[in-house]
Amino acid sequence: MIAALHRTPPAMIFVMLALGLAACWSAGTPIGILAPLGALFLYARGYWLLSLWGGLLVALAGAVLAAMLYPGAIRDASRSLAALATVAGCIGLLLAPYPLRRSSRLAAMGRQAAGQPDGLAGDMDSVPEGAVHPDDRPAIAHAAAYAFWTGVPQVTSYRLREPDGSYRWTELRAEPGYGVSVDVDAMVSRPDDRWTVAESLGETVQAVQAAKVIESLHGKAWAFDAIGKFTYVTPAAQIAIDMALEDLNRRLGEREFIDGGEVGWMRGVHPDDVDGAAATLRHCLKTGEPWNIEYRMLRATGHYVWHRISARPTRDGEGRITGWFGTSIDIDVYKKTEAALREREKHLEQLIDTVPAMIWSMSAEGRPIYLNRRIMEVTGATLDTVKASDGSLSLKKMIHPNFWELAEKTFARSVATGAPYDIKYLQHRAGGTYRWTQTRAEPLCDEAGKIIRWYGVSVDIHDLITTQTELNLRKQELTRLIDLVPSFLWRLTPTGAPNFFNRRFIDFLGIDDGDLEQSRTERYAAALKVAIHPDDASRVWAEIKDCLSSGRPYAMRYRLRRHDGVYRWMDGRAEPLLDDDGGIIQWYGLSHDIDDQLRVEEALRESEQSLRQLVETLPALIYCAAPNGEPIYRSEKLGEFLGFGLGDKDAEGRTRLTGTLEAIIHPDDLPDVKERYGHSLATGAPYAMKHRLRRADGEYRWVETRTAAMKNAEGEIVQWNGICFEIEDQVRAQEALTLTQERLARAAQAASLAELSASIAHEVNQPLAAVVANSHACQRWLTSDPPNLERAQKTIERIIRDANSAADVVGRVRALFRQTDQARNLCPLDAILHEARDLMMEEAVRRRMRIEVEVEAGLPSLELDRIQIQQVLVNLIRNGLEAMEPARRGVLRVRTLRAGEFVRTEVRDTGAGIGAPDKVFEPFFSTKSHGMGMGLAISRTIIESHGGRLWAEDNQPSGATFIFTLPAEAKADHDR
Amino acid sequence: MTVDDTIVFIVDDDEALREALGELLEANGVRSVLFQSAGDYIGADKPDLPACLLLDIELPDINGLDLQRQIARDDHPPIVFITGHGDIPSSVRAIKHGAVDFLTKPFSDTALLAAINAAIAQDRETRAKRAELTLLKQRYHELSPRERDVLPLVVSGLLNKQAAAELGISEVTLQIHRRNVMQKMAASSLADLVRIAERLEIPIQHSRRMGGI
Repeated sequence: MIAALHRTPPAMIFVMLALGLAACWSAGTPIGILAPLGALFLYARGYWLLSLWGGLLVALAGAVLAAMLYPGAIRDASRSLAALATVAGCIGLLLAPYPLRRSSRLAAMGRQAAGQPDGLAGDMDSVPEGAVHPDDRPAIAHAAAYAFWTGVPQVTSYRLREPDGSYRWTELRAEPGYGVSVDVDAMVSRPDDRWTVAESLGETVQAVQAAKVIESLHGKAWAFDAIGKFTYVTPAAQIAIDMALEDLNRRLGEREFIDGGEVGWMRGVHPDDVDGAAATLRHCLKTGEPWNIEYRMLRATGHYVWHRISARPTRDGEGRITGWFGTSIDIDVYKKTEAALREREKHLEQLIDTVPAMIWSMSAEGRPIYLNRRIMEVTGATLDTVKASDGSLSLKKMIHPNFWELAEKTFARSVATGAPYDIKYLQHRAGGTYRWTQTRAEPLCDEAGKIIRWYGVSVDIHDLITTQTELNLRKQELTRLIDLVPSFLWRLTPTGAPNFFNRRFIDFLGIDDGDLEQSRTERYAAALKVAIHPDDASRVWAEIKDCLSSGRPYAMRYRLRRHDGVYRWMDGRAEPLLDDDGGIIQWYGLSHDIDDQLRVEEALRESEQSLRQLVETLPALIYCAAPNGEPIYRSEKLGEFLGFGLGDKDAEGRTRLTGTLEAIIHPDDLPDVKERYGHSLATGAPYAMKHRLRRADGEYRWVETRTAAMKNAEGEIVQWNGICFEIEDQVRAQEALTLTQERLARAAQAASLAELSASIAHEVNQPLAAVVANSHACQRWLTSDPPNLERAQKTIERIIRDANSAADVVGRVRALFRQTDQARNLCPLDAILHEARDLMMEEAVRRRMRIEVEVEAGLPSLELDRIQIQQVLVNLIRNGLEAMEPARRGVLRVRTLRAGEFVRTEVRDTGAGIGAPDKVFEPFFSTKSHGMGMGLAISRTIIESHGGRLWAEDNQPSGATFIFTLPAEAKADHDR
Repeated sequence: MTVDDTIVFIVDDDEALREALGELLEANGVRSVLFQSAGDYIGADKPDLPACLLLDIELPDINGLDLQRQIARDDHPPIVFITGHGDIPSSVRAIKHGAVDFLTKPFSDTALLAAINAAIAQDRETRAKRAELTLLKQRYHELSPRERDVLPLVVSGLLNKQAAAELGISEVTLQIHRRNVMQKMAASSLADLVRIAERLEIPIQHSRRMGGI
């Protein structure tokens, strides 16, 4: 019944309360209060029980006092109340022992059976009341009560009845809130002769009996008399401490133990504990209080081992102490475990305080309850600063204002839902700065899943965040770089599957990002496959395949189709990334759009080609030289002409320029060329020179070389460009012309005989006239009266002078006529005509006129005096040019044609014409201020001597034509 | 022939001949001035005396014949050409244009002096005629306008009455004008006046026959 009630204490109390109130109400007395009071006594314990007792006593005292002081009704009421209180106290006394049993029931259920697994007794409440031997019940009750009231652990032994009716000894260790029962009956005592019992047990018979009981428990049991002299020690104990009874009781000083003297057993106690142990024992011996103590005892093995010693006095009927019995339990393991636990706890605490993390905890409601030392040091916060006025968490002083809202929301949600939270924010630091901190918190739940506590840790991740931010930035930068670089970047796996294209490439190919059916690699590969120009595809794939297998860098040009369908030329290059072993990890490639570049190049090439063709087809020899004159280019024609290449004349000790010049320039011209070319190179002045150039066949040909500097925008000479004309024919022609002119000059002197005679006459007449005049004058001076001899003399001197002058003229004329005559030869007239034209060309150009010569084909050669006919032609041409002089322009046409038996030559001018075509041939007829009028006369004489005719005609509308004919058939004409 | 009242201008580029000619003329008492070129001659200050121009055809600046043509309009002394060539066209042309003589080098002093004297004589005569004409022109200029109107009519042989009618004046007035003209022009007779008018190249405006119409 009691056990059943025990299980439902609140119900019991309520039932009792209800019964009590009902009783009070029905009986009209407060007697019903007894029921709830009894229930309270049944369940109250510790201080509650004391308070109950106290209350009861105060009520009793108050009631007694009131009954003595006040008469009448109050006294009656007080009397009944005092009776009620007394009855309640009796009920309390009856029920009071039960609290021990309650506490035992609540204790842990562990067994501590000194190595014996069986024989577990369980707690006293779990066994029937009658299971404990009747003799032991008071002792157990006492020990339990004692432990309950004083808090000192108690060890009691009692006999427990087995189901078969036999009793087994069980030891109960009782501590507040903790109790262990150990079955010790199985321990077998081992008698030893050495270990003896005191001869006279005296009054300690009971104690010895008790000790023997303990001994039978195989514990270290002992008994001693009222003054502390051992009368019994279990043999096992004697063996364990290696001390016989007499050793234990041996007095080591003058005084008895009880009087403060030292005895033998004290030697077996650890020096640190011995004084305390002795003092408490003496105290107990004097007062009769149970002796409970823990101290280290020296074992026979030489080690100090922790023992718990408990001793109780035995008393006679008058309460006099008759002796003491006690036990000592080896609690070394327990003690050391406890020490280790303490150590570990301390260690843990240190760990928590020193671990480089900020650890904290808070209650289920979110009130901060713990901050480790580190969090306080680092953040400068204390429990007070993180608490709001109502005790809840306040992070305002802990984190950056930007994160208040976020942190509070997260925190509130977690507290409400019990979800762990993880948050990153800027946390305040003791120095006043803020650093990135990651805080995680998780709740600790009980079995029912109710949150008991929140445990959290904050980690400084500032450096990590900073690094990560930096890394992100760098990655972004890199990504941007890769996407913005105006090329196509790509990556292939070692097997050639594309696994990365940069943004530009994707855009170029028009790869659709949205198509997620395929993997990226498949999409890229498919896009690439169709993008390569069909004409290039086989070549490209073969090259890629080859590169993939050989690992050599890849470089190709091919066409790639842009998303709009236009094929663009690409320059693709790739190189493998190798691991340490030389294996290919990835291929990294770049494709550059070179379409525009190629077009430009092509245009350039075409332009260059056309320029080169221009240069090569120009009828000239062209070359280029570096600013220092070194030849760097030669047109093909020049190369063919010279017959060797640019570098063929390179040799040690001289420049290419020198080598080339020495090889190609005629030795006679070389110094001049070197000097003038050197001058041009030094000053930048254009170079022009005529010299002989060695042809490949060894022949020197006359050339005219001109070179000018090509300058850049800054005016520096970049290159010398030169051109070289072959003027061999020109030079030869010039030489021939010069010869002809010389001959002509001679011929002219000889040919103009008639004109010369007139000239001679004039030349001679002039001094002759002077001589005559002077002679007359002289005669006149001499014949005058008187004769003027002085003047006569003067005139005679003049006569001599003038006569000599005349003689000189004659001498000059004679010299003039030394020219030998030339025979007539068979000559082609057109050749003579061209010679005459060439002779007069210079004069025509000077007068800004032209001479046109037209010769009928197939003219026969004529027998004539080449020089004389040339003279006639020159004369006629000059006359024509002079006639056209006033106009300062015009064309003189010379035409030669066959006219019957004659060859007719016409010289037609566009001048003013001639008034009298016949008169012009008369000697001394001249329309010119200087002419002597002899040219045409002589010409006519010459032509007529050749059997021809010379005459003049006026042209319409202007000008004149002089015509001469020469017989086509050579006739012997000796009329010269 | 006196040295003082005549002069010969010699233009020849040959210094020896120029000097010889000067010497010869001086030996014969003829004053001469020597010029090296036509330009020198044209630019020189020449005394106003009966003179002769002895001109070489071949000159350094312009031909002697050209010079002759150039100075033809002016009153110039008669020209005697001298030449080393003596070609016919030149001499003909020279004579045509009024040259006194055309001498071919070398020439005798007689021929030269004769030519020079002839030229100077011609010049003297020309100068006298030129002086008389100048006098007549002066007299003519002294006539009143009406008298100048009267003169051509009178010398044309019109009767006084006809002339007066022509001019719209009375016969008496005409006669007064006629007397004045005769007097002013120093004409001794009508015939003399006619001769003078002819010298002055006054055109005969009206014949008696015309007047009869």
